[in-house]
Order: sequence, then structure tokens, then C-alpha cells
Amino acid sequence: MKIRSIILSFAITAAFLQSAHAKLNVVATLPDYAAVAREIGGDKVEVTALAKPTEDPHFVDARPSFVVKLRTADVLIEGGAELEVGWLPPLLQNARNEKIESGKPGRVMASQGIRLLDVPATLSRAAGDVHASGNPHFMVDPIIAKAVAQHIAQAFATVDPANAAGYQANYAKFEATINAKLQDWGRALLPYKGQPLAAYHDSWVYFAHRFGFTIETFLEPKPGIPPSPSHLAEVIGKMKTDHIKAILVEPYQNRKIAVKVASSTGAHVVDAAQFPGAFPNADSYSAHIDALVGRVAAALK
Amino acid sequence: MNFFKISSALALVASTSIALAQNAPAPNSPTDVQLLQKQMLEMQAGIQQMQAQHAQEIEALKAQVAVQQKALDEFKNMAGSSAPPLPAGPAQTASTAGAIPASPAGAPLFPTTDSSVLATGSTAIAPVPSAPSVTAPDAIPTIDTSVVAAPTLGGSPITLAGGGKTYLNISLDVLINAAISTARDLETIEVGDHDPIHRGFNARNTELVFDGAVDPYFEATANIVFKLDPQNETSVEVEEAFAQTTSLPWNLQVKGGQFFSPFGRINSMHPHTWDFIDAPLVHGRLLGPDGLRGVGAQVSWIVPTPWYSQIMLAVQNGEGSTGFSFRNRGTGDTFYGRETIDRQLRGVQDLVFVPRWESSFDFGGTKTLLTGVSAAFGPNDTGPTSHTQIYVADAFYKWKPANAGGGWPYVKWQTEAMYRRFQAGRGLDDSFPVGETFNDWGAYSQVIWGFKTGWSAGVRGDYLHMSDSQVTDDPERQSRWRLSADLTWFPSEFSKLRLQYNHDFLEASHFLDGRDVDSVFLQFEFALGAHGAHKF
Repeated sequence: MKIRSIILSFAITAAFLQSAHAKLNVVATLPDYAAVAREIGGDKVEVTALAKPTEDPHFVDARPSFVVKLRTADVLIEGGAELEVGWLPPLLQNARNEKIESGKPGRVMASQGIRLLDVPATLSRAAGDVHASGNPHFMVDPIIAKAVAQHIAQAFATVDPANAAGYQANYAKFEATINAKLQDWGRALLPYKGQPLAAYHDSWVYFAHRFGFTIETFLEPKPGIPPSPSHLAEVIGKMKTDHIKAILVEPYQNRKIAVKVASSTGAHVVDAAQFPGAFPNADSYSAHIDALVGRVAAALK
Repeated sequence: MNFFKISSALALVASTSIALAQNAPAPNSPTDVQLLQKQMLEMQAGIQQMQAQHAQEIEALKAQVAVQQKALDEFKNMAGSSAPPLPAGPAQTASTAGAIPASPAGAPLFPTTDSSVLATGSTAIAPVPSAPSVTAPDAIPTIDTSVVAAPTLGGSPITLAGGGKTYLNISLDVLINAAISTARDLETIEVGDHDPIHRGFNARNTELVFDGAVDPYFEATANIVFKLDPQNETSVEVEEAFAQTTSLPWNLQVKGGQFFSPFGRINSMHPHTWDFIDAPLVHGRLLGPDGLRGVGAQVSWIVPTPWYSQIMLAVQNGEGSTGFSFRNRGTGDTFYGRETIDRQLRGVQDLVFVPRWESSFDFGGTKTLLTGVSAAFGPNDTGPTSHTQIYVADAFYKWKPANAGGGWPYVKWQTEAMYRRFQAGRGLDDSFPVGETFNDWGAYSQVIWGFKTGWSAGVRGDYLHMSDSQVTDDPERQSRWRLSADLTWFPSEFSKLRLQYNHDFLEASHFLDGRDVDSVFLQFEFALGAHGAHKF
């Protein structure tokens, strides 16, 4: 009798805990995946982003608290294209969570199905910290973001079949929003099609590809290598001959250098960012791209 | 196809004849020659038969190709007209490294290049004709098959890219030190085995690292270290070689092999991840020059708390120089002046047990604290019943702002305090006059400031107290303190240049005079291979 009541109370507690955790526990390595996951998951998921929107995604500290988040995750969304290679592996080693093991439906590799640009033909670190599988900064292309959103919707539907229809509906909504928004963004940026831009780091190739810019001038001489005075002199010369009117700088990059280059070339510094949440009041994916497009367009005007 | 069949048939014939030639006895008698002739004739007949058969097959294949070509032509005409586009997905297969889906049937139905992707130097997928466009001609497209492989809802995304292209990650990390010092005997001043131990150039840590997944259940890591001694002779050390489980239930993890004991913070870190060139005094003197590591097993459990909390227990042999304070025979079978006893393992009680509890707390998004307490218990070789207990408390705190670039700027503070109770017995056959208990303790504390991208500066204070024995004469039992300062430049993630100054003060003891030592080290590190990941 007593044992039975103990078991019953355990069962009730367990059921209570279950209902408290009924939401799908989603961990995204980066804030862009998190923003998309929130739109697809709606109120059925609880999304945590590990990296902050303003920090360098290559160099995130593998804080032990991330292990706690990964330990209880139902779904992990990562880029899978080496961007997080410096900090995610030790976290996953420690997380010991079967649900998010490689190959499980709870493990989403966002780069799957994406044709990455700038896949190096030969691998040499003499070229800087190149990513072997291609440039991993692909989420600023809204068409790619749609594919990632679809991938996330499929993963959510597989892990949580009860809400599959909701996830698919949210995806359809996201797709429609992006399709409509693309017309706005296109209208805003097409007048400047073909213009060359400069950037601090080579993280804008997908944005350039989508909206018809060429971004081949970088303040970094090679990916991950800090700007040197001689390289900057070269960049200034190139910006003058190519009439480059804008330099994209992300929150974690050295803005002072960009300002200096801008002042000697007459170009504008664009405070750009890859990750939703970096701009004020622009936490959703489309609000973020809105702000980004607005800032680029304003600089080119 | 045909060519392949014929050539494989020929290869078969050739290999049979070689085999026959090898197996046949030497043709030294007429009967052997006749036998061989007969075999040759049989083989000729066989080949003729095969040729005839192949001629037939070729005809059949030709006919088949003609039929396919016809079908293909019809298909082309269809595609050329307003017929619906080809289904993209099912016919394509994701290929390997280049990840270029083969175009259906290998026929150039579509253009095979895409300028938007070709610019990068990679061969591109043939663009799949998209559904009739609903957007105005000058509007921005909402679908781009050159960047997205699977635009339809429902199908699984095709694997085109993804990390982990190899089964084994390999990297090489080399530390080269140049040392100048006022001490001729730098090896008694520096306490770690990978520290610069003589004036001039030192290469004490060339480390090969291998890691990867063993199977769905284990992952493994091995660190093989090559050391050059002052005579430039190489010695090899299997520093670590272990496998651990990936997904045991109940937050458990089991590790087995040769590994660093989970004792304090710096003990389980490889020298190239340290913030100073040399090991702290307490580690070198209380745990030994190689740190505490050994062959054994470890189980760890993440406590299901809202903050990070983990409990570990390692059980290791604790034998030899990597179990310095335990069953270690010492140099020339002498440890702390005593002739050591070869204490064979009698049972579980003679192993070294290392429990650890660590916890971590975040203070906002930019500050993190990791603390832990560990202990190590086991027998030592200075007496038949002598025992050693070591305890350590460690703390690591890091601040990094929310807009850090390349990992900079940051401030790191790291401190460890250690206490050892060492029962020094009377040695082999009670040959040493007395048994003693040493209460040795010490601590170090260091602050590193990453003040500018690629640059860091650090200071460290180090203190070691060793019980001053009236009978035990050992140069390693001298109480001492050390002040260090260093400046590091990281040209990239894969190389660094570090300049360090040490001031050592060794206190006078019963047997030894006190003295001051000044040393300057310059370290160069370079790493090749797989991109290393950093633990917190």
C-alpha cells in the first residue's frame, strides 16, 4: 500500500516534469539558426543559442554551461561547415546526449543540401584559416535560409511527429514571408547591382551572390589574419580605383581600422552583422535582413 | 562497359596462365612438355570460345545502346518543348568529396556549368529548370537551385557538404624553447618534464595528436610526445591514449586507457595550451615532472543540476614516474633518500584513486567561473605500508566581452592550491634510519590579459612549501617561490611566440643553501593538421 502510493507519487511527479518539459528543447550553435528555429517551432519549442549575436562565431568559449544545455537538448542545429569546429566538439564529447548524435534526426547540419561557395581546391593554411568544406557564412542568403528552415522543419517533424503539421505550416509561412520580402530587398538593392563592396572578413560571399554585388576586397589579408599596414595601403588603392563605396564591418571586428580606411577612400562604414539580435529591435530573421539591406542600401545611396 | 568486360576477361586469362605457369612443374621432361602443349591448346580453345561469346554480348549491348539513344532523343525533344521539367531529386545521387550530383544517365541534357558558382573554381551542378517563374523578369528570384540542392518540401536534403571528411584527425604540435639562465643546473630549477631543462635550445614537446570516432559507441584520442634530451636523443612518450563512451544513459561517461588524471586544472592540460612556458612548482614537485597520469579507467557523471556540475572517479595504476608520489621506484631505486620497495599490486587498495567534483557558473553572458576539488589516494614505494594523499582546489575565471573578435580581448585568472601528505617509510629492509610524514603544500595564481587581438600578457606567482627534514637530503625537497611574467604573440591560431621571465628564490633548508635564479625563455609553437578545439 505504502509502496504503491510512493510509486504513484513518483509517477505524478514524473508526469508533471514531463509536461513541464513538453516543449521541444532546441539548441542552436549560432543565433541565425536559433532565429529560424523559433519561427518554425513557434510555441512548441524552447530555443537556446550558444553563441551571442555580436561575438565571433569562430571563437566562442566552450563554456561548461553549454554542456548542461546540450545534455538535455532534443534537437541540435549546427552549421556543420567547420565554423564551430574550434569549440563545439569538446562540448559534444561531454554532453553524452544520444538524441543529438551525428546521424540522428535530432542533429541538424544546416549546411546539408547547401552548395557552399569558395570550396578551396587545395588546402593550405598558408592561405589563412580556410574552411575545407567551403565558406560557412551562408545564412545571409535568404534563399539558403529557406532551405535551412525546411531542413529544421523536417527535423522537428521527425522528432516531434505530433506537431508535424504545425511545423510544416510554419515553414510554409516562413517561405512565403521570405519570398515576399525578397522582392522588397531586391527592389532596395538592385539599383546597385554589380557594385563592388569591401568587407573586413570574407563572410559576405552569399549575400553578394544573392543581391548581385562583388565583395572581393577584404581588410584581412587572409581569412583570420589581422590587417597589416601594407595590406591596408593596398586595399585603399584598390578601393579608390574600383570606386568602392562601402565597407562591411561586423560587431566583433576592428571598426577603427575600417573607419580609417573609409576616411582615406571616401567610403562609408556599414555596421553589418550576420546574426539576428545584433541589430536593435531586429531579432527575427527577416527583420534582421531588413535592417542589413537597409544599412547597405543607405551606404550606397 | 564492353571494354571493361573484355579487359577483365583478358586479365582473368592472364592471371590464370600466370598461376598455371607458377604451379606447373618445370618442363624438364618430354611428358611435361606434352602436358603443357595440351594445356595450351585447351586454353586457346577456351579463349576462342570466350571471344565468340563476347562478340555476341557486344552486339547485344550495341543494340541496347541504340534503343537507349533513341529514348534519350525523344526525351530531349520533349524537354525542348513545353513539357514539364525533369524531376531533379531521385535521379541524382550525392557523390563524395566534390559532392557533384551526376547528371541523369550521364548525358549532357543541361548545361554543365553555372557561372555563379564556377567563379569559385568548383565544378557546378547543372541547373535544374525551375518551376515556371511567378515573379516579374527584373524581380529578384525566390528560388536558386545553384545554391540549394533540394528545393521541394518533403524530400530529405541531399548531403552536399558537411564536416568530418576523414576517419582520423591528425595534428602535430611542436614547442621549441630557447633558454638562458643564471643557473647552470636548469633541470633542477625547472620542475616539469616538458619545460626548458638546459640552457640553449630545447625541443621537449613534439606532439602528435590523433582523434576520431571508433564506432558508434566510442571516440578515442592519442597524444604521442617526442622529446629531445640535451644529447639530442629522442625519447617517445605515450602521453595519452584513451577511448571514451559517447552516449551512455544517465549522463554517465566511461573512459579507459592511458590518460591524465582529473586532478586539478593544469594537470590534464597539454603543455601547448598552458599560459606559461613551464609547469607550476606544486605540479612538478608534488605530482611529478610528468604530472599525474597512468593506465586506468574513469567514470564520470554530470549531476542533473541547472548549473554545470560533474563528478568523476579515476582509478589508475599510479606506477612509475607518471605516478610520482605513488608506486614510483624513483631515480636509481631511490626516492626521498630511501631505497624503494617494489610494491607489487596486491589488490584494488594499491591502485591510485582520483575523485573530482567540478562546477561552473556563468555571470551574465561574459563571465564564467569553473571550480573544482580533487584528491588522489594511493600507496608509495618508500615503505611496505606507506601511503600518499594529495588534495587540490582549483578555480578558473574568464571574462570575454560580447563582441570579442578572434577570441580577444579577455582576462583569465587561474589558481590552484595543493596539499600532499606523504608517508615516507624506512625504505627497503628498514635501511633508512627513520620514517617521516611530509606535509607539503603550495599554490600558484596567474592572471592573463589578452589586451589586443593576437597579444596577451601574464603574471604568475608560485609558492611551494616542503617539510624541512633533518634526515632527508633531496634537492627536490627545497621550499621555494617564483615570480613569472610573460608576453605572447599569436600570429594566427596555429602559431605563437612567447617570451617569459622567471625569478626563482630557493629557501635555505637543512641541507641546501638558499639561492636566487633568473631565467629568460623564448618559446615558439607551431601546429599542423586538424583544427584543434579548445576546452574551457
